[in-house]
Order: sequence, then structure tokens, then C-alpha cells
Amino acid sequence: MIRYRAFTKAYGGRRAVDGLTLEVPAGSVVALLGPNGSGKTTSIKAAAGLVRPDSGEVVLGAEHLNALDARARRACSFLPQRVSFPETLTGREVVDFYRRIRHVPGDATDRVLKFASLNGAGERAVGTYSGGMVQRLGLAVATLGTTDVLLLDEPTAALDPEGLGAFYRLVDARRQAGGTVFFSSHQLGDIERLADRVAVIVAGRLVAEFTGRQLAARLADRGVMRVRVDAPTAGLLERVRALCPEAAWRGDELIVPGPASMRPGVLDLVREAGGDIRGLTAEEGRLDAFYRELIGAPS
Amino acid sequence: MISLRSVLWLCARYELVLAVRSRWLQMFAVVFAGLALAVASAGYILSGGHGVQDFSRTAVSLVQVVLLLVPLASLVFGGLALTPDRGAAELLYSQPVPRGAILIGRMLGVWLALAAAELIGFGIAGLVVQSQAGLDGLSRYGALVITAVVITGVFLAIAALLASLNPGRRTRVLAAALVVWFVTVVLFDVAVLGIASMLRSGSASRLLISATLINPVDAARTGALLAIEGTAAFGAASLALLRFTGGAAMAAAYVGLSLAAWMVLPLWLAARTLSRADI
Ligand SMILES: Nc1ncnc2c1ncn2[C@@H]1O[C@H](COP(=O)(O)OP(=O)(O)OP(=O)(O)O)[C@@H](O)[C@H]1O
Ligand SMILES: [Mg+2]
Repeated sequence: MIRYRAFTKAYGGRRAVDGLTLEVPAGSVVALLGPNGSGKTTSIKAAAGLVRPDSGEVVLGAEHLNALDARARRACSFLPQRVSFPETLTGREVVDFYRRIRHVPGDATDRVLKFASLNGAGERAVGTYSGGMVQRLGLAVATLGTTDVLLLDEPTAALDPEGLGAFYRLVDARRQAGGTVFFSSHQLGDIERLADRVAVIVAGRLVAEFTGRQLAARLADRGVMRVRVDAPTAGLLERVRALCPEAAWRGDELIVPGPASMRPGVLDLVREAGGDIRGLTAEEGRLDAFYRELIGAPS
Repeated sequence: MISLRSVLWLCARYELVLAVRSRWLQMFAVVFAGLALAVASAGYILSGGHGVQDFSRTAVSLVQVVLLLVPLASLVFGGLALTPDRGAAELLYSQPVPRGAILIGRMLGVWLALAAAELIGFGIAGLVVQSQAGLDGLSRYGALVITAVVITGVFLAIAALLASLNPGRRTRVLAAALVVWFVTVVLFDVAVLGIASMLRSGSASRLLISATLINPVDAARTGALLAIEGTAAFGAASLALLRFTGGAAMAAAYVGLSLAAWMVLPLWLAARTLSRADI
């Protein structure tokens, strides 16, 4: 588990994180969501013992150790947001170094290199790696041990679909083994697929907590449906506006913003009016608007 | 749990591999060899002959250059090597081992690497000197090489301290390294002489002698010249030094103590600073 109690950290008088109280229960996966500069990295680094709280505390692991306690380092594994390695070492040398530091048996090196799909590139110098390969190597190092707590700062940035798949399977396995995973992301896909809960942090403050499903529903309600219609009858828009006042035409596309639940009704109206539906897309609500809404700012 | 000794060794080896692959090291070895050879032949040419001078003279002529260049090389190379960029530092210092052990282990690795470059560089020059001028004074040349290795350790310890004070900020570490070099190698002696010139002769000489033991560069110079030239090293000044310290053995002990302190204290402070720093 991880527990933040009124964790506060300021840089040069500006509060990066302001009174964060949050619990990540053992055996669960919690995502930290928020705009750039909202304090995600600062919060995760505090759990990794790299940032000292100005006030409040962070405890973690089965023994509820303070994150600054040296013993807490053995209970968790951290992947930094922009992980980097010496360019002249090979991937295998990097993994081997961290494996020894963490006191993990020798066969782990091959296991994590394989998991990271680096088995070919393991013998190459890190300086020749692409951005995604460096990220995969970072994930390989972070998953060397079988630590209780996994702290991952934007683990999926730069990963391709295959890397994503491998990463999702890894998190599932950790959850099943009773581990705790706390990660940050800007990707709704990660959150929907992985997170049991989502904590939203804006300007250093926790503004909302949702289950993964609740978040998806909230965002879907803020989505937009676009329907391409041939031969619409006059007066269709008026009838649609009875359901959705903000509906509008853009060329031959009917734009219908609003909750997903009203979309079937709109489609029925189009068909009743003799409209021929040629295409249909729906997109989820944008996160930036959602953040503004959560902190009560005008959009 | 991995033992502290294993951490030190693991990090030293890691750093040694990085240093060997960085090409800087080969460059240093070449520079040291070239320097020693240049000094060995220059002195001879100035005195109207040709070939190279023997080990003793070469060693004496090299002391000043070594004490100018080796601190600079150690501060710069050490400062760069011991300041990992942010993404590397975050991963390194979130591991379940004391941060100080990682830093000191890596510092030892850089020391091993630079010492190897010095041994190889001076060794190559030594082979040339030996073939031309024989083995006379080899032990004195050896004392010079040891001085180089020791002063490397001192300035790497200081580099480790600078790195721990500015985690992840190479430019600042580099700037601080240049300031430290200028102060210890250039400014300190000038300042001490300036102050001494304003004092009465008794206090002035006490100040000059203490200064010789306090500044690591001066301490190393004193030690090297005592080892190379014996008690006659600097005429009246050495007599005063020996009177002040109570004999050659005591003088050597003071020098050794000063250099050891300059290695241990910065490392201790570095480990302490790093363990409390935000990374
Ligand atoms: N070492 C530091 N020195 C000064 N300010 C910092 C430092 N680290 C973070 N900050 C500031 O703290 C705030 C929060 O930064 P943080 O890195 O935690 O944001 P984040 O949510 O991870 O953003 P992103 O999505 O861009 O990764 C920002 O305003 C940032 O400028
Ligand atoms: Mg971040």
C-alpha cells in the first residue's frame, strides 16, 4: 500500500503539491491523472524517497514504512519519467548492474530483457537505442525485483502497441500477486485498461477520485457525436435540438455534443426524418476541459 | 541485502567501465606521457645537451606541472562523471542502498581509472627516460607518480562533494570545480603571501608553514619535494618547516594527515549531503 497524508512540497515558494491525502490499497492499481506541472512526478518521487516532504508524510509497503526510511527502498521500485542510462553501457550491462544492486538472482536479467522485447538489442550500447527502447529498458529495470510497490511515472509514454500490451500484462500480474501499482499517465487508454481507481490532481491539489469506469462514463458524457447525413429533411435540427440544444450542422455533418445516453435518440430522429446516415464518429470528452470543470473554472 | 563492500565494488567497477569507454582516459594517458617526455627532454636541451635528463631531474621538474594539471583533470573529469543527469540519478538513488555508498563507490572507480591513466602515461615516459639515462633516481620518479595518484584522490573527493551539492546540474558542478581549482592552485598561495608580507617575520613564517600543510596542493608539493630532494629541498624554508614540525618524519606525517583529511572529510560531507538531498 501507499498512503499520502497531507503531503506538501514547495519549490521556491510555489507549492508543487499541496496537502495531498490519498491511499493506494495493497493489491490495487491506482492512476494519477492531471495536467502538466500539476505535481504528479513530485508526488511519485516522494513515495520513492527522492523528495522530502515540507510537511505531511508518505508511508508505504506492508510494514507502513516512511518513504524516507532506508528500508522502504527495498519495498518499492521506481521508474522515473525521463529515465536515462549511460550511453556506452549495453542494455544487459545496465540490467545486470541494477540486478546486483537489488540483490536479485542472475536469471532475472534474461527474464526482464525478454519481457521488454530487448533480447536482440540487449547486447547493444544504450546510446544506439530509440526513445521507446530506453523506456522499455527502464521498465525492465523497474520490474527486476518482486517488490511490493511499483511506482511508475508515465510508464507508457513512447511505448508502441506491442510494448503497451506487454506492460498491461505485467501490471495485471502484479495486481494478481497482491502488489500495489501507482502510476501517472496522460493516456486515457492506460487508465481505462489498468486502473482500479483514478486520482485527479490539478495545480498540486487532489480534485477528484473516481473508479476507472466512473471516469470513462464522465468523459463519455462530455463527448461529441458527428453524424454524416445525406438528404436530411428540413426541420431535423429543430427536433434534435429538443434533445440536445447545442446540436449544429457543419456541412453535411450533424454535430451533437453531450452525454452518450442521448445519442440513440438523436439517431432515431435522423432516421425518422428520412435522413440517410453515411458515417458516424463519437469521441470522448477532452481531458483539459474536464480538468477545468473539476476545479470549477470557466471553460 | 547487498553488503556495503559489494555496493562500493559494484559501483567502482561500473564507473571504471564507463571511464575506460569514454576515451577521455586514453587522452589523459597520452597527455601525461607527452608531458613527462617533454619535461624530460626540455630540461636537457636548455642546458645545452640533447637526449633526456635522468629520473631525478625529470621528477623535480614535473612536480609543478603535475600539481597544476592533475587537480584540474580530476575536478573536471570527476565532477562530470559523478553528476548523473536527472533521469539516471532518480533511478540510481531510488535503489535500496545508501546514496553515499553509490557516490563513493563511483568516485573510487574514477580514481582507479585516472590512476591507471597516470601510471600508464608516466610509465611510458619512464621507459624512454630509462633507456636514455638509466635507472638513476627511479624511486624519486616513483614518488612523483604516487603524488599524482594521491592528489587525484583528493580532488576526486572534492569533486564528489561538489556533485552532491548540485545533484543533476553538471554546469554548476563544472563551474564550482573551476573555482575550487583556481582557489587551491592559484589564489591560495598568492593570498597567503600577501597576508604574510604584512606580518612580522615570526608570524609570517608560521603562517607560510601552516598554509603549506593546510592547502592540499601545497601539502602534496611539500611531500613530493621532501620525498624527491630530501631535507635540502627548499633551503632555508625547509629548515624552518622541519623546525616547525619537529623533523622530517613529523613533517611527512603532517602532510599525510592533511591529504587524508582532504580525502575523507569531503567524502563524508558528500555522503551526508546526498542522503538529505532532493533528487
Ligand atoms: N526540482 C524542481 N525545482 C523547481 N521546481 C520544480 C522541481 N520539480 C518540480 N517543480 C515544479 O513543481 C510543479 C510540479 O511538477 P511535477 O513535475 O510534479 O509535475 P507533473 O504533474 O509531473 O507534470 P508533467 O505532466 O509535465 O510530468 C511544476 O510547477 C514544476 O515546475
Ligand atoms: Mg511528471
